Amino acid sequence: MEAMHKLSAHLKTRLLDLSKAKEGGRKIVGYTPGGYLPEELVLASGAIPIGLVRGGDHSMVELAGAYICRWIDTFCRAQIGYGVSGEDPYYNIVDLLVVPMTDNHSRAVMDVLDYNTDIEIFPFGVPHTKDNLALNYYLHGITRLKTRLEHLTGVEVTAPKLSEAINLCNRERELLREISLMRKSQPAPISSRDFVALNHGSFLADKQVMVDVLESVYKELKERGLPSDEGPRILLTGSTLALGDSKVLDLTEEAGGVIVIEEFAEGIRPYWESVKPDGDLMKALADCYFMRRVPPAWFRPDIERLDFLVKLAKDFNVSGVIWYQLMYRESYKTESYYFPDILERETGLPMLTVESDYDPAEVGPLRTRIETFIETIRR
Amino acid sequence: MAEYYDELLKLCGFADDEIEKERPRIEKTFRKLELGPEDMKTAEKWVRQNHDVELMGVRKLLWIWLKELIDLVLAKDEGKRLLYYGFPTIAGPASVVAAASEDVYCVCPDAVLCYTMGQIFNKLTPILEAGEENGLPAGHGLCSLLQIRVGGMVKGIIPVPDMVITSSYNCDMGSKADELLHQRYGHPAVYVDGSMDSRWGEFPNYLPQRADYLGGQLEKVFDKAKEILGVEVTAEARSEGATRNRELTGALRQLLELMKEADPQPISIVDVEVARRLTSGSAGRRIATDGPNIIAALNQEIKDRMDRGIGVVEKGAPRVIICMAHFSDPSTTHMMEDCGLSIPATLHALFAARIFKTTPFISGEILAKEQLERGPFHGSCGEITRAAEAVQEFNADGVIWNYSFNCRPIALTSHLLKQFVEKETGIPVLSLEFDWYDSRSYSAAALRTKVETFAEMLRARKASAKV
Repeated sequence: MEAMHKLSAHLKTRLLDLSKAKEGGRKIVGYTPGGYLPEELVLASGAIPIGLVRGGDHSMVELAGAYICRWIDTFCRAQIGYGVSGEDPYYNIVDLLVVPMTDNHSRAVMDVLDYNTDIEIFPFGVPHTKDNLALNYYLHGITRLKTRLEHLTGVEVTAPKLSEAINLCNRERELLREISLMRKSQPAPISSRDFVALNHGSFLADKQVMVDVLESVYKELKERGLPSDEGPRILLTGSTLALGDSKVLDLTEEAGGVIVIEEFAEGIRPYWESVKPDGDLMKALADCYFMRRVPPAWFRPDIERLDFLVKLAKDFNVSGVIWYQLMYRESYKTESYYFPDILERETGLPMLTVESDYDPAEVGPLRTRIETFIETIRR
Repeated sequence: MAEYYDELLKLCGFADDEIEKERPRIEKTFRKLELGPEDMKTAEKWVRQNHDVELMGVRKLLWIWLKELIDLVLAKDEGKRLLYYGFPTIAGPASVVAAASEDVYCVCPDAVLCYTMGQIFNKLTPILEAGEENGLPAGHGLCSLLQIRVGGMVKGIIPVPDMVITSSYNCDMGSKADELLHQRYGHPAVYVDGSMDSRWGEFPNYLPQRADYLGGQLEKVFDKAKEILGVEVTAEARSEGATRNRELTGALRQLLELMKEADPQPISIVDVEVARRLTSGSAGRRIATDGPNIIAALNQEIKDRMDRGIGVVEKGAPRVIICMAHFSDPSTTHMMEDCGLSIPATLHALFAARIFKTTPFISGEILAKEQLERGPFHGSCGEITRAAEAVQEFNADGVIWNYSFNCRPIALTSHLLKQFVEKETGIPVLSLEFDWYDSRSYSAAALRTKVETFAEMLRARKASAKV
């Protein structure tokens, strides 16, 4: 697809563009990619949001071992590795790193980088349960963030600026949603690899460029015909699907499976809900990003997400679920024990649980397990 | 007529007439726990090896834990309603509910199993294995305390509760394990949330909204207790709950003050921790009525030993602060003292014994503010700063940061604490990977070499400082 090439070309020069923007006085705001940071606030303050979504590199996980024990989520240890080593240039360019504090794994990233690097960090808490107290706490967190951003950039986040940013981000979400929903059709018109590339790109690309790319992709997909055949349709879910961690996508595709929908806590931008751009805009952001967001596994109770997975499995007419968790993310590990029973009861579908520590040695056993799973459901 | 368990119970502070009176309950409990004559022999040996049974205070501590075990196992059979809570705990809400109703037994069942099936019977492994086989498998860094909870419930040792208070202000795992159990047994849960979103260096300050949020969440427990258990939490119950907590905390504080002053160390830190855990392991009525007196009696025995210069380690031995003692396997903690180290306190005992100016009654707001001031629920910086303060307060020569590998809030400080405390105090820190609840992999034998080396280094350091 032509638009994908455009995105790729844009990302190739993105760091250079960011450097120039920084030299010109723009601020770069990095954030951990769990979907709880309203980018609208960053955009409205005149800064550039960058989701630190890279992962999959075992050397960074090993490097983190000098700063923290191994019993922390793999992606989070990789972020510590990138942050302390400077191996990820995006970490080097940020003026502020915002950490929406979700669980102890994101807290580990914040604490270790705060103590061991000069990166300026701004944490704010994401409650683990939904009620008015929690909503108010989240709203207070993003309000503090707004103030911090205004201080950082010297730009007041006014209602018109915020409204404009909300419209832009809503358009991005709408397009991702429309493209994703096209995969309900059989065969799916876009591969998971391409959809994930678009989603990952949205963390790094200029927002307007990204919207243009998505508009083009959507148009191209509408115009072109569907692929001729398709293997077993798969729902891929789990804790984190990072940029650079493509092995499960690759192995599933190589085994003849077709991932038609992804659901992740981190690395996949939530796109199911849009901000309602009326009334108090800060409350509107909190309503979308917190109250209407389908929460990850570290939320309590867990039933909203598990129901959502069942719904996705039905809506996208999948033949099986692959549950991809990273090592030591205990909330996902625990749910992986009892969700198969719920899935079986509600849909009759099978589930395969796979786990990674970004170690290249995992690929062989993973291939065998995924191939066997795909072969089983194909029959 | 004497039974196979009488000797053990006497060793654990039971009086003869009490054994006679309690015999039906004891036997029913032991049947459920599958404890027979061979287990009593093992337990007698284990208790004599690991607990200072010369001291009546220690024996009564074991007594009170055994009584809690019996109450827990038989609670449903005896018509009690059960409220469970989990670790890491903010003990206040359970104390208030316990004070509000004699019919509701409020307890952390996994802690009771550790302090009895582990500390007394050395028979925790089958329970851990049941937890591993029923949703919390080995090899994934999952909390072994929660494996004990799951294993205990799956094996039918501990009853299904009427309500569980499950928290997410510090730990992510407890509520997930409770959800796993909820899937199986369907009991209702109250989620008490909080957020540990303070920056490094922010401690002891905190945003008032943090206290408001945590306080509001804690208050939910009282509404739910009424809704689910039918327990009306009155002002009197809030006051009574505060009194209970204050009396226990006061007795514990006195114990730690004695440990601070003493040289040689008069009793093992193992038994100090058996006492300390009364402040959080159960909110049973007996803990409130007898607990402070038992600790006070122990304190008197300790004073006596101090007067006579009796100690469990050599006078002048290097002093170390550790994170926590093992919940279930005392031999693992004893190993450190066997290496010639004096352990006057654990950091978490100091947290538990922190005295606040006024707590006339318990409310969510008061508890939240106290907890944020304590340190560990404030964030890593709070925990670590308090560790550095403890080093100064106890004039420690070193710290063994025996973090439990499967406890994320602590494990994430594995390196940070060493970095910070060594920098701020100049005192060496051994960061020791540990498991506070399960010693199958992290046994005394497996850890001894590291601790011995550290102890040797501390002795050399102390000696050179004198030159």
